Amino acid sequence: MISSQLYQEYLNCLLEGKRLDCTRIVQDLLDRDIPIKALYNDLFEKSLYRVGQLWEFNRISVAKEHLATAITEGLLNLVYPRLFELEHQHKGKRIVISCAANEFHQIGGKMVADICELNGWDAEFLGANMPLDHMLLHIQETKPDLVGLSLTVYFNMSSLKKGIEVIRSNFTHLDIFVGGQAFLWGGTEMLKHYSGVEYIPTLNDIEKSIKES
Amino acid sequence: MIPDEILHREGFCYLNTRASHLLFVLRKDGRIVQANDSATRVTGDNIIGKNFCEVLVDFTWKADLHSFALDSSEEYIMSIGTVSGLPQSYYFTFQQVAEDIIAFGRLDVEELESMRKEILVLNQELNNATRELHKKNATLKRLNAEKNRFLGMAAHDLRKPIGLLMTYSGFLVEETADVLNSEHLGFLETIHASCGNMAQLVDDLLDVSAIEAGVFPLRLEHVNLAALFSASLEPNRVQACQKGVQLDVDCRGLSGAILDAAKIEQVIGNLVANAIEYSVPGAVVAVRLTCDDRFIRFFVQDHGSGILPEEVGQLFKPFQKASTVKTAGERSTGLGLLISRKIIDAHSGKIWVDSQPGQGSTFHFEIPAQGDNHRDTDEYPFDRLSI
Ligand code: B12
Repeated sequence: MISSQLYQEYLNCLLEGKRLDCTRIVQDLLDRDIPIKALYNDLFEKSLYRVGQLWEFNRISVAKEHLATAITEGLLNLVYPRLFELEHQHKGKRIVISCAANEFHQIGGKMVADICELNGWDAEFLGANMPLDHMLLHIQETKPDLVGLSLTVYFNMSSLKKGIEVIRSNFTHLDIFVGGQAFLWGGTEMLKHYSGVEYIPTLNDIEKSIKES
Repeated sequence: MIPDEILHREGFCYLNTRASHLLFVLRKDGRIVQANDSATRVTGDNIIGKNFCEVLVDFTWKADLHSFALDSSEEYIMSIGTVSGLPQSYYFTFQQVAEDIIAFGRLDVEELESMRKEILVLNQELNNATRELHKKNATLKRLNAEKNRFLGMAAHDLRKPIGLLMTYSGFLVEETADVLNSEHLGFLETIHASCGNMAQLVDDLLDVSAIEAGVFPLRLEHVNLAALFSASLEPNRVQACQKGVQLDVDCRGLSGAILDAAKIEQVIGNLVANAIEYSVPGAVVAVRLTCDDRFIRFFVQDHGSGILPEEVGQLFKPFQKASTVKTAGERSTGLGLLISRKIIDAHSGKIWVDSQPGQGSTFHFEIPAQGDNHRDTDEYPFDRLSI
């Protein structure tokens, strides 16, 4: 549904900070009933990865990257009316998704929460840089069936490990899904030391996993 | 006219101390031998003696300063690792002077300005959207409270006339049995039974409206679990006997617990009644209650028709009934499981069902054995979570 020409037009607007043009493109796609997953993967994620690359190669500044991110987060708001108004088949299941402590990348985790919501789960997103004690308390109060942890920066792997260990010791049987770009650099091996912890790479995979669970 | 040399001196002094530009003097190998105050402030570090690449946010890319210095009109975007931990991009130019290289870094004010404006607008929109949401939330709360009040009032007012109908239809059934023909007596019995269902519905609605309105206080007390269990099952035993269903009850090792006895009795009674209603005569319904220091665990298992997986999630919601029918066509209000869930939630417990279509269902609940500390004290139960 997103042609390469449309993607390019969107990316250019995003890089030039043309928020209203980006809004128009996204609203138009939503009006044409684009599947939310496609919008997330093929427009938002793809363009942000590109933004990251351009920044990495010193082709754009941090300011431009921040602006593109702020615009994207604003555009996610356009999706919410549709996300929450749709009559999903409620599964009576709850997932809590959170970023690891010290992790400031939150868009990926938020998308995962939205996809769970689309699949009839009650999905709560706790946000970036979540202190462990708050997360534990939240888990205790809301009693989810699953917890999802998002990690982007590989150097934060120790925060994630700590998070997994603490959740495991307090909630023995609570399954934990982890995901995020950090695992592209490694880390999936160490997950094998923990019971009930699984690495889920993509939105398609999370959809499959929650359908099975 | 100010002489050039004074202008240069003052200009340099300003650049060295106050300007937001970065200035580095680098050796051929990239070592920093001199830096202005701004460079020290931004990096938050003593950078003299370090290599220029060390102050950059380093990816795989390495700065080739010599080739950069060949054309001093060219600008390069480079990100500096700042004291805040987040990178800041500067536009650098490099100039070869004798053996050394001078590096100037500038912020792009226009770019920062457009980001500032955009973030301001986004923040305003976010703020307005939050305000609107709060307003809508308040309206919804008010409407919900009105609905609860209405529901409560209607149920309350219906209770009396239904009670009268039930009593008098009961009298009529008893006293006119020998006057009326069997068809008319059947009509009366149907009226009487329907009044019973209506009375149950009204009671359930009253419970639901109290729960929804948040006026559903728990009366936590020390109870003897064995006594509570046997009292809860009393009506179920009659029901099971009438239907020819066998109750297999086991409750070993029960001690004392802290809970709202009447409400937990209601839950047990309701779950067991359902299990009996979904069982055929001759079937066995297993009921178990166990307890340790921390939790009370209950389950009731029937061998009825089970629940379809897609219906499981709906069960604990208002007016939900499974598509499977009760074996003797018993009626229900569709509120029993919702009320049970609310009662278990209020005890900080968990209620769930395992079911296999065609093989039966097992309803479980689990609640803390000694009450729910944090609800009473309003304190966070950090002591129970270990970090
Ligand atoms: C935006 C952004 C930021 C923003 C984030 C703001 C926000 N609101 O989220 C800010 C400015 C805060 C930021 C900061 C930094 N960033 Co940054 N950032 C990015 C950027 C451009 C986009 C991130 C993004 O949203 N991607 C889009 C989302 C949708 O993709 P995603 O996160 O991968 O999520 C998908 C999957 O991974 C998966 N998933 C994710 N989480 C989970 C969880 C579960 C449970 C499951 C099942 C699946 C799942 O599903 C998602 C949807 O498909 C990336 C570039 C990139 N390649 O992503 C760099 C990038 C991630 N950042 C990077 C870096 C280095 C940083 C900093 C360290 C920079 C610095 N020196 O200060 C800091 C770190 C701060 C910190 N401690 O976290 C590097 C990371 C490299 C690495 N090796 O770790 C990247 C890759 C840029 C680059 N090319 O180098 N950044």
